[in-house]
Amino acid sequence: MPNDDILLRIGASLRELFAGVLPGPDAVDVAMYFVALIACVALIFTNAVILILAERKVAGFMQSRLGPHRLGPYGMFQTVADVIKLLTKEDYRPQGVDKWVWAMAPVVLFVPPVMVYAVLPFGKNLVPVDLNIGIFYFVAVSSVATIAFLMAGWGSNNKYSVIGGMRAVAQMVSYEIPLVFSILGVVMLTGSLQTSVIVEKQSGIWFILLQPVAFVIYLIAAAAETNRMPFDLVEGESEIIAGPFTEYSGMRWAMFFLAEYASLFAVSAIASTLFLGGWHGPSFLPGWVWFLGKTYVMIFVFMWVRWTFPRLRVDQLMALCWKYLIPVSLANILITGIGIFAYRAMGG
Amino acid sequence: MRTQTYELNMGPQHPSTHGVLRVILELDGETVIRAKPVVGYLHRGIEKICESKSYPQVLPYADRLDYLHSMGNALGLCQTVEKLMGVEVPERAEYIRVIMAELSRIASHQIFLGSLVGECGALTGFVFAIRDRERILDLFDMACGARMTFHYIRYGGVVQDLPEGWVEACRKFLDDFDGMMETYRNLLVGNEILQARLKGIAVLSAERALAMSASGGVLRASGVNYDVRKAEPYGIYNRFDFDVPLGTVGDSWDRMMVRLGEMEQAARIVRQALDQMPEGPVMAKVPKLIKPPPGEIYHHVENSKGDLGYYLVSDGSPKPYRLHVRRPAFVNLQLLDELCRGYLLADVVPILGTLDPVLGEVDC
Amino acid sequence: MYGKGLLTGLGITLREFFRKKATERYPEVRPKLTERFRGGKLALEPEKCIACGLCSLNCPNGSIRLVTVKDEAGKRKLSEYEYDAGACMYCNLCIENCPQKCIRWDKKFDFAGYDRKHLIIDCIAVANAKKAAEREGGAETHE
Repeated sequence: MPNDDILLRIGASLRELFAGVLPGPDAVDVAMYFVALIACVALIFTNAVILILAERKVAGFMQSRLGPHRLGPYGMFQTVADVIKLLTKEDYRPQGVDKWVWAMAPVVLFVPPVMVYAVLPFGKNLVPVDLNIGIFYFVAVSSVATIAFLMAGWGSNNKYSVIGGMRAVAQMVSYEIPLVFSILGVVMLTGSLQTSVIVEKQSGIWFILLQPVAFVIYLIAAAAETNRMPFDLVEGESEIIAGPFTEYSGMRWAMFFLAEYASLFAVSAIASTLFLGGWHGPSFLPGWVWFLGKTYVMIFVFMWVRWTFPRLRVDQLMALCWKYLIPVSLANILITGIGIFAYRAMGG
Repeated sequence: MRTQTYELNMGPQHPSTHGVLRVILELDGETVIRAKPVVGYLHRGIEKICESKSYPQVLPYADRLDYLHSMGNALGLCQTVEKLMGVEVPERAEYIRVIMAELSRIASHQIFLGSLVGECGALTGFVFAIRDRERILDLFDMACGARMTFHYIRYGGVVQDLPEGWVEACRKFLDDFDGMMETYRNLLVGNEILQARLKGIAVLSAERALAMSASGGVLRASGVNYDVRKAEPYGIYNRFDFDVPLGTVGDSWDRMMVRLGEMEQAARIVRQALDQMPEGPVMAKVPKLIKPPPGEIYHHVENSKGDLGYYLVSDGSPKPYRLHVRRPAFVNLQLLDELCRGYLLADVVPILGTLDPVLGEVDC
Repeated sequence: MYGKGLLTGLGITLREFFRKKATERYPEVRPKLTERFRGGKLALEPEKCIACGLCSLNCPNGSIRLVTVKDEAGKRKLSEYEYDAGACMYCNLCIENCPQKCIRWDKKFDFAGYDRKHLIIDCIAVANAKKAAEREGGAETHE
């Protein structure tokens, strides 16, 4: 009974509302896209606030601390206060930065995560834009982030930033390959790049069981793509202070943070789409709750890893990618192909 | 294509230069060509200050050299002056001194381990080490009322006897200490990423270590068996049964493992000392006005950073004529350039971490 | 096997996640100070003081300044006693050397201020204020 879903009902009533006001079905579609965009941006902002608090809490709990606990019950308003503080901070531009490149970088970095949200299947019939090349779109769009890191690194006119920017390019370009290869295994099983179809095909069995190797590779590559802990060389605060973010402060700096958490949510959501069965789950809860729940579990795993492991060195990072992940993911594709062939030959 | 090296200024404000050390790096891409440490940002002129202070007033300054192993510093200075004056320290005081110095060594190495892995990115390991160090600081707080700059060990003994319940608290800490080491081993030592970061990096040969007059864990990691506690036992160290952990390769990993081993040995010494400690006075008969006879003396002790030496010249007045401190962290820091060359920027930080400089001592 | 150490590490952090935390919730829960705790400001008992100046002489940093006057009987008396917490090393030498045991630590360690002036404490005034407060408090209970 998908129509029982509260979100779908809101969508349907909005559509009716627009149909009464706007001329023609195309205009209604455009209006609905705007609604979806606003919903996505709102989700990103609220999510970032929640995730920053969650990260600090998880970090605290794993380090036998309490994390923020002063503002509100269990420190719930800590991030809100932080955001207010960042917003009211002086917008400071260091001397000698490349004005436009420097100012544009946080904005450019924020674009890909927002665009990725368009294809996330939050629930049955709850995909903002159900592209038939959804996964391909995700891969393509998320690689734009590389440019933003390079812009921030180059525009800051700071040696630490340049090193960080260069590392970002090397790392993100390299790790894109195992990321795509790990996704490819799932795509081969479904024969579709459409996110809703991929989830639909997992109604019986989750692909984590069919593609465990691909799942692990995806986790590693996604952590590297989002510059999280064992692979956070781009920031590498003990070596290069904060990498490309060194010269930013106030809300510009917060944009980087926002983008980081938005993309963390995006890769976790893609993981739950591809491997954890998306919105499928016992029907006492609506599908989007299951989807979000699985996504948050994935986010917890990323945080858990972050607060346990030390960071790799830049050459080890490259070695891990090119010497291990890519051959293993290629082998995984081969085995998947053989498996599919055998399955078909047996008359499945 | 013509390439060019560039200079990168690491510090004095940098998250991982252990305080206010400045390292001028000459880099080719990310490869280090030259690393030049610039010291002096924390220089307080302690040696000169000491010339204008009476002997009891000098003692608090010793705590402020290597502020992570204060007890060891005070022990060294006290023994130097006692040696010159010919003071006999009561048995119980000697045991308390050893217990304090070794607990302080554990605390210092916990900071070493924590900051090293924290700089490699494992912040949780750092917090665990700091949390466990708190237990030792609590013990010090009980005994002398301070957590950092103790001023507990004095000329002729220690200022106060241990309070009631201290020995039990110390034993309880030692019981928990094995669990702490187990955690470090599981979380950090066993971690393959940390191993990859540290193994085979910055290999220091025994010859070079000796030539650069390195001491402490840096020297022993290169396989040279030299520990002042064994080579020239001071105080009552010859009564204890302990090993000197040695490295085989001399890389960053060995420098870390040697320190971990030293922590265990220090705990072993504390256990023995607690068992053997007699009752009795804790302070020898020392005149109120300390006036060592004219003369000069050199005395050295094994501090957590290495071979800490005090050279004292007395002209018979109540103030030292000259006090020079051989600071092991300062001497070990000389190795930074040599060890960093050819490694990556990301290696500089762990290499610096394994040299374990404390800027209070380096700059003095 | 490669990766075993990583998994053990993950196990340790997960275990810590559910354990009791070590955080002290400071301003609400005050730390329990040990008996020998050295900290806070110097508390002087002016009546007991014989104005010998040993505390000031023994201070390594000169953080104690006292002025003495001779009264009619020719006896030395304390007229000013200033303690500069900003220069204090908390070495305890003043307290140990006091023949009358008339100074001690008040153990109120949280006296941060916005100016260095706040670190210079007029100990006689503090002692008198405390006495006045006690007298007032005592009078109240008497009523």
